Amino acid sequence: MYASLVLARVAAVMLAVIFTMMVQASAQVRSVHVQAPRPFGYFIGDVIRLQVDIAVDAPFTIVSGSLPKPRSVNYWLDLRSVAVDDRGTRANERSYRIALEYQTFYAPLEPRALTIPGFTVTMSDGSARIAAEVPAWAFLMSPLREIRPQQGRPDALLRADVAPPPASAAQAVVVAIGCGAAAPALFGALAHYYAWWPFSRSRRRPFARARVATRRALAGEVHAEGYLAGLVALHRAFDAAAGRTVMAEDAKAFVASAPTFGRLEPEIERFFQASRRAFFGADPEGAMASFPPNALSTAAARLAAAERAAT
Amino acid sequence: MLLTRDADTTLADWQQRARALEHEVSKAVIGQDRVIRLVTIAVFARGHVLLEGDVGVGKTTLLRAVARAIGGLFERIEGTIDLMPTDLIYHAHLGEDGKPRVEPGPLIRHGGDLSIFFFNEINRARPQVHSLLLRLMAEGSVTAFGREYRFPHLQVFADRNRVEREETFELPAAARDRFFMEIEVPAPVNPEIRRQLAFDPRFHDIDALISRVRGEIVDHSALATVARAIQVGVRASEVLQTYITSLWAAVRTPQEFGIEIDGVDMERLVLGGASPRGVSFLVRAARVRAWLEGRDMVVPEDLREVFFEVMAHRIFLDPVYELRRDRIVRELCKAAIDAVAVP
Repeated sequence: MYASLVLARVAAVMLAVIFTMMVQASAQVRSVHVQAPRPFGYFIGDVIRLQVDIAVDAPFTIVSGSLPKPRSVNYWLDLRSVAVDDRGTRANERSYRIALEYQTFYAPLEPRALTIPGFTVTMSDGSARIAAEVPAWAFLMSPLREIRPQQGRPDALLRADVAPPPASAAQAVVVAIGCGAAAPALFGALAHYYAWWPFSRSRRRPFARARVATRRALAGEVHAEGYLAGLVALHRAFDAAAGRTVMAEDAKAFVASAPTFGRLEPEIERFFQASRRAFFGADPEGAMASFPPNALSTAAARLAAAERAAT
Repeated sequence: MLLTRDADTTLADWQQRARALEHEVSKAVIGQDRVIRLVTIAVFARGHVLLEGDVGVGKTTLLRAVARAIGGLFERIEGTIDLMPTDLIYHAHLGEDGKPRVEPGPLIRHGGDLSIFFFNEINRARPQVHSLLLRLMAEGSVTAFGREYRFPHLQVFADRNRVEREETFELPAAARDRFFMEIEVPAPVNPEIRRQLAFDPRFHDIDALISRVRGEIVDHSALATVARAIQVGVRASEVLQTYITSLWAAVRTPQEFGIEIDGVDMERLVLGGASPRGVSFLVRAARVRAWLEGRDMVVPEDLREVFFEVMAHRIFLDPVYELRRDRIVRELCKAAIDAVAVP
């Protein structure tokens, strides 16, 4: 007796729960409207845009994974794009507008009704899920031409493509002339940047000038004379860069005042020591042995590169 | 060969002593390393030195310390307006018996062995004294008691303060030209050194300070020989000789080297000066500096280091610019060194 009473109570509670859930479910999706263009007069290749407005109770939001994906729906219908516009919550009601773009490739022989299938959109409030059913939409498609065109009516047959219109070349000509003018200008700028002729005498690039002069002095078989000329050329570059005579003891101060040459300090030191030996120790051969001509030209090139990097 | 090696080892040995001299003097005078280096150069070039600077920067202390470190006999005299040349040579007094006596004065009291003659406040002495000094410095001799006294080892140190102009006599150009160097002694700028000078009791008693300097580090009678050896042993290459002549020309005709100084008409600035004697002094000083740096060749840095002290007082400016002389000459020397390319 007692057991049957308990069973009856449990059954009553379960029924109440199911009922509540059903009530909730029926109350949650408030409306689903499909707005469509005319339902007739479509031809092969036409694009059909459907607009679905869904309204749900506030805490529920659309589960984006449940939306249809752009794809081939069936052999004659493509879904080209899907866009969801969240229109926000008003009076405890959240509304969405889904824009769907279909394209039909059906080739009917006579006017024929076709249906774009419906789909289900899932809503969720974090725990519960409910479904909004979007109904199918039917429309009428028509053929483009007769099934069997009559003889002697060539215009009823497939027509030739329209001949391509001649494209205007004026813009291309303008662009070509512009590029033709810009190229020498850019090349001139590049020559200035690298201090090539005729910018090789540029005052702002003493080391670039020195590199050229050193290379010239050290061309071919190097004798003491050419070596000394190379040293002097580089000395003049240091003087010009510092704005005054730079001596061996000033090397450190020079590097400190022009940090772009900081990496080259050991080479600068070697250069000054070699120059001192060559000019004041009257020992050019010894200087050439300690700081060979190719080291001199390398130093000149690296100084020119460092100078270029700085300006 | 043996002779050369001997000379080399002797020079190396003397270099050590020169360093020791600098070190000893720097114990008494701190924060004046450059001045001490220049005075050392003058000692080893056998040149007379004029120090100038503000009152109380340590000119006299420095010279006393150097004199002590060099050793040899040393005499000192203060320049005053009533000092006459005879006061240097003769000492006139009344003897114990009441009779007037004339005995040798401070200059010749020790005969020819005098090593350092130290003239304080030289610009307070009269031109007559200056002219005596001129002969002493140029020829190393004076005439007294009807005979000539020679001073083969003599070096004259003089100082003057440049603040006071009253009751002073400007040194004639010829006397200034005899000075090997005119060294300006600046007041120390380093705050740590200033603090030490003010608070360290060591610097309060000058006599005690000087007595701490080790005496007789170098043999003053050998200095002349060493100086000659340095001048022979240190090489000045052809490139350097060209450099010196260019430098000389740049000081005499700065406008040709594109040198410009603010508010100065370069065409009329330099009247003359930078005498051949000055240039030869310059080379001498540069050789000694090279030797002190341990080199056997003169490099332009040596010349630059001593250029102002050796040359500045030999440059004569248009009288219009004399009042601004200090700044102008300094800028001129610097501009000349900056303008002349080397090598």
